[in-house]
Parts: sequence; structure tokens; C-alpha cells
Amino acid sequence: MTAMIPAGEYHATYREDMTIFPTRNSRYALWIGIALLCLAPLALGRYELGLLITIGFTGIAALGLNILVGFTGQISIGHAAFFGFGAFASAWLHEYAHIPVALCIPLAGLMTTAVGMIFGLPAARLKGLYLAIATLAAQFILEDFFARAQWFTGGVAGRITEPFTLFGWVADREESYFYVVLAYVIVMFVAAANLMRTRDGRALVAVRDHYLSAEMMGINLAYYRTLSFGIASFYAGIGGALYAHYLLFVSVEAFNILYSIQFLGMVIIGGLGSVMGSLMGAAFMVLLPEVVQAGADALAGGAVDRALKIGANISFLREMAIGATIILFLIFEPDGLARRWRLIKAYWKLYPYSH
Amino acid sequence: MTMRRTFLRLAVAATLGLPLAAQAQPIPVGHLMDNSGATSDVGVPYGQGVADTLAWVNNTRKGINGRQLRVLGFDYGYQAPRAVSQYQAWSREGVVAIQGWGTADTEALVRFVTRDRIPYISASYSAALTDAGGKSGRQGVEAAPFNFFYGPSYSDALRAMLRWAADDWKARGQQGKPKYVHMGANHPYPNSPKEAGEAMARELGFEVLPAIVFALTPGDYTAQCLTLKNQGANYAYLGNTAGSNISVLRACQTAGVNVQFLGNVWGMDENAMKAAGTAANGVVFPVRTATVWGQQAPGMETIRQISRVSDPSGNAYRPVHYLAGACAAMLMVEAMETAAQNGGQVNGVRIRDSFYARKDWVPRGFEGVCNPSTFTAEDHRGTMRVALYRARVNGDTSQGSVAELMQSGTMKLEPVTTIELERKREWLGW
Repeated sequence: MTAMIPAGEYHATYREDMTIFPTRNSRYALWIGIALLCLAPLALGRYELGLLITIGFTGIAALGLNILVGFTGQISIGHAAFFGFGAFASAWLHEYAHIPVALCIPLAGLMTTAVGMIFGLPAARLKGLYLAIATLAAQFILEDFFARAQWFTGGVAGRITEPFTLFGWVADREESYFYVVLAYVIVMFVAAANLMRTRDGRALVAVRDHYLSAEMMGINLAYYRTLSFGIASFYAGIGGALYAHYLLFVSVEAFNILYSIQFLGMVIIGGLGSVMGSLMGAAFMVLLPEVVQAGADALAGGAVDRALKIGANISFLREMAIGATIILFLIFEPDGLARRWRLIKAYWKLYPYSH
Repeated sequence: MTMRRTFLRLAVAATLGLPLAAQAQPIPVGHLMDNSGATSDVGVPYGQGVADTLAWVNNTRKGINGRQLRVLGFDYGYQAPRAVSQYQAWSREGVVAIQGWGTADTEALVRFVTRDRIPYISASYSAALTDAGGKSGRQGVEAAPFNFFYGPSYSDALRAMLRWAADDWKARGQQGKPKYVHMGANHPYPNSPKEAGEAMARELGFEVLPAIVFALTPGDYTAQCLTLKNQGANYAYLGNTAGSNISVLRACQTAGVNVQFLGNVWGMDENAMKAAGTAANGVVFPVRTATVWGQQAPGMETIRQISRVSDPSGNAYRPVHYLAGACAAMLMVEAMETAAQNGGQVNGVRIRDSFYARKDWVPRGFEGVCNPSTFTAEDHRGTMRVALYRARVNGDTSQGSVAELMQSGTMKLEPVTTIELERKREWLGW
């Protein structure tokens, strides 16, 4: 492996063509990045760590949706419901089956996969807007189920969950839970990046690019579309379970249609069909409200506030600013943060001979 | 957050050129508000009442024993999960007490505040929060030794209204069994007094009809009103907040439903009367303060001063929730003052214990406004007295402000009766 790659594509083997990290430096950069993140709890406050944790579990769920939307070309506007199912499933498994939380999280992922496959069945037959409506139904069915299934979710009052423990080590603080989420983020993202290099992953992309051609090549459309739903739900379930044991409280209110749309927003902003883009999109969507909130706080009580008599309406200003930012983003950066990141990298790589 | 705080502190120290250690540390206090969510209709005036009162304490009383209150406000949009994550942020900042809001979030936080020993003064009056010792043995009710609220619980308020309704039925010379129905969203807040109310209604000889569900947001509730009409309900409890109740009242007026509505304490106020117009006429609901805006009482002068914090002109009309917010904030402030006496530490446990220090507790300077409260280590039902008022609207409310309409008598809050419930052991936590 070399530090540089020559201009142009000179790959002589499939192995070279498929590699995730084309140069030695990019591989080093990744290891250094992970090492730095491991040191983050020493340097950052609990507020910053809390944000990183949130980016982590929403990023995992967003990656699941990206596999479905970006890689397979399907659509789902019920992702938050699956995210919620994972959260409730993990809490329920711990409460009733007394399974340790560390095991509950992957089990909740599997349970969500099963539910996702059931709701994904229409995907085998439906496309486009029709599929969107079918997944919308999943959102409402599951939401209603959460509100009524007292035994499973605690009803509308929600359910208290327990912190993550592993061999006596309790991750009930940001400093410790951060490592749990970091481990899951690494595993889930590596898995997704590798999935796309397998036969099944290529089949998913083929379904997206042209379903008729894919079918003529012998790809079973119904199978791969449902599988894609299963994978997406698995990621959503894991993300939701991580959320449940971070917040220590799960309530149906969190998993509404707006949150589903936010997941779609993350995927679009991050970049459709980009593994890392999912994480960038999640980071954007998590940090944006914080930035706007800080701006609103700075504005509150100030001269502008008094002049415009904003007062209590400042909280609406926040929601509006978030909406406006997303619209502007879609106009000026339609290919997502992942492409912008590639352009920035290319700029430095090619400097000063970029054209 | 911490970094920003340190930076601010440094900046303040640099500009004032004062050694910071010499100054008393401010006391961090959380204030959870709903300014944008489903209950913001009543959340805004209540939150303003709390915020103004705490600012007034800082300005005129030099805070608690010379230490300023650092009030950390947060609008959570009535989303319980957001409240929980904000709570965790606050507990990191070391808040010693929290002014809270809704039922779902307060009940979700019970275990957290008990664990972290942070007194939590909610605007949810759910009876489940009153069982301080956890001895009621009711299913789903846990010990809530750090939860307090100002006013009668939702269940007790409903019991009192039902008692009035039973008398009203007889006084009107009606025959047969009156029919009672609970109305509200499927949400912890409207659900809170549902069973207690229905049990009380049966006990008082009402026929209890199946509950009617309507969402916490304004909408078209004609179907619900037609159900009311078809079932022939005589007394209907409105468990939601004012915004969605207005929709029901208007729809029922249009549908010609003849039913006596009983409002939750958050279900009616002067703003709702203006919005609903004559549809709100006759609604009976509990009022937590001894006086309402525009009436005279020794404590009203204090309230008017507090009101000027956010309205220097002094012209704003403050609805009942603003006054209740002031009283709730003052309970916390006085408990903190008691904790700080004799150089005592202002921490969660000492503030909690200070809630037990007084009997028939009316905050100093709020006489004739705040009703007396008594808390004990076993029983956090602050009061069993429920003052019932009737909303009177006898004209067009579309023109003029709330203040003008109240002054002209187009809208009135008319005292109906005050009901003193027995402090029954079996009602604790229910």
C-alpha cells in the first residue's frame, strides 16, 4: 500500500478496486481519528459528549435509512417508528426477561428487523409514492401501538429504562456511555461499508439503478427490497435501543412523523448513497438546533428582542430557522455534505493545479 | 455549556475587576416551560408568572439570603423526552430545585429527582405526585418525596366539582340519575384524574358514560359533541388545556349540546373566555388563587410589582395561571430562604425539608392572593380546599382586549362555591 495514488485509475486487481481506504495515509487518518475520539471524554464537557452520543445513535439510524433510500432506492417515512420500536423493545426485554442491557440492544435490533420485514412486505410490490404511503401507515400503526400497548411500552406515560452495564461496569454517565455508542458506531459503519462490497450490497445498488435491468440479471427484486427494509430496521432498532439506555426514559411522544422526516432530512443533507454522509447528516441535524438555540439565547432580552417584541415567540423563531436552513441547504448543496467533503479533500489534494 | 459559563465568568470578572471569590455564588435553578407545544396556551402565562417572580426576587429581595438565583429557562414544547434530556443537562449544572410543567414529564422525572434529591415544583397537579412516602400502595404510584405543587390535585379538584355537580342537580330540581362523562386526550395529563373522578361520580350517584377522547390540539370536535348529545350527558369534564377545550365548547355550542362543562384547572382562563366567546359561558372550573386580576387584596400590590418585570407599562392583564405561577415560584423561594437561614446550605434535601416547616403556608407579601398550603413528609397534597368559579360571558368578545372585556363586565369570573374535601387516606396518590 502506498502513500499516494497515481492520477487515473490503475487498479490491476479487484481487491485494489474494492478497497475502502485507497492510501496508507487515509487509513492512518482513520486510526488517529478513532484514537482521538477515545480521548474525547477526557477533554470534553458532558454537554459536548451528550451531543456526540446523540450524533452517534441518530447516525446509526440514519445509516439504516440511507441503505434503504440511498442504496436501494426505496422510500420510508416511518423510520422513527422503527427507531422507537427498538427503544421500547430493549426496555421491555430488560424489564420482563431480565436480560442484561448489553444483550438487549442487539436483541432489540433483531426484533425491530422482524417488525421492519413485516411492514416492508408491501415494498416487494409497491414503488415510489405508493410505497411512501405504505410506510406512512407503518408510522401511524406503530405509533398507535406504542400509545396503547401498556404491557410493552408503558402506554402514553412511557417507560423508565436502566443504564448499560457490562460485567459490573455501569455506563450511566456521558463519559462512560460515550464508549458504548462509539463502539456501536464503528461496528455498524464498518458493517455497512463492507455490506456494499458484497454480492448482496451490489444487488441493492442494482435494484436502485434500474430495477428492470436488475431483474433481468437474475436479482430477486422482492427479496432484496424486503431485505433492505430488514437491514434498515435493524439499524433503526440498534439506534433506538442506544437512545433508550442513554436517556433512561422512553415515551411514544419522541417517535412521531416529524422525527421520521428528520431522518429523511439527515440522509438527504448527508448525501444519498454515502455511508459517511449519514453520520455527517446526523451531526448536522443534531447540532443545528443547538446552534440556533444558542443564537436565540443570545438574542433573548437584547435590543433586537425588545425592538421586535419577540418575547416568548423566540422559541418559534428557532423552529423556523431550522426549517429555513434545511431549505437553503437543499437548494445550494443538493448532493449533500458527503460531496462537499470530497470536494474539500480534492481541493487540497490537487492544490495548486485544481481546475 | 460549562466552557461558556467559565468564559462568561472570566469576562465578568475582567470587566468588573472584582475578585470573583468574594462575591456570593449564584444559585442555579431550572425552569421548564411550554412556550411552543400543545399546552403553550396556558404554559406561556404560567411560565411568565414564574419567570417574573424569580426575577423580582433577584431584583428586590437580593435573591436568597444575598445570593442571586441563576434561572435556567428551557422551552421543551411539551415533549416529555426533551424534558428528560434537559433535566440531565441541568443536573450536571448542579441545579438545587426545578420549576416544572407537564404531567408526562414530571411523572417520568419522579425517579430521577428522587435519586438526585432535587425538589421539583411542577405545574402538573397529578395526584400520583402527592404520595411522598410511597405508602398508598396504588399500582404505578411511586414515592415522590421531592415533588411538590401549588394547589389542589387534579383528582381532588374534580372530586370537588362533582360534589358541586351533585348539589347542582338537586338544586335545579332534576329527576333521575345525572350522567357524567370524562373528556380529554389519551395522554397522562387528562388521564390523571380519570379513574378518581369516575369512582367519585359513581359514589355520588351519577351514571358514568364511556370517556370521550379529543386531542390536545385545537381541531374540529363536532363528532365528540354529537356523542355527548346522543348519550344525553349532563356533566362533562374537560381534561385538556384551554386551546383544545375552546374547540369543543364552540363545536358543542354549534351542535346545540346542553351540558354543564366542568373544566380542569388548566382548562379555562380569561384568554380562553375571549377566544370561545359565549360558548364558554357557564363553564365551572377551579381557581387556585384567592383573588384574580383586577380584584383587591393585600398581596395584589406585590403581584402588580412582579407583573411590571415583563410589562413596565403595568397595563397587561394577567390571567389566573400567571398568579398561580407566582405562588408556585414563591413556595420554592421561601423554602430556599428557610434552608439558607443561619448560614445553612441551600441544597435539595434542605429545601425539601423546608417545605414541611410551615403550616397553612402563605408566602410573605402574598396574603390574599396565594391560598394556604400545608405539606408533610407523608402527604404532599398542599391543600384540600377547592374554590370553584364560573366563567360568565354575556356578549361579543371579538372586540377589545381581555382587560377591557373584564372591565366592562362582558366577561366575568364568578365565584360559585368553595368545597373543603376531607383529607382521606385512601385518596392519597389517587
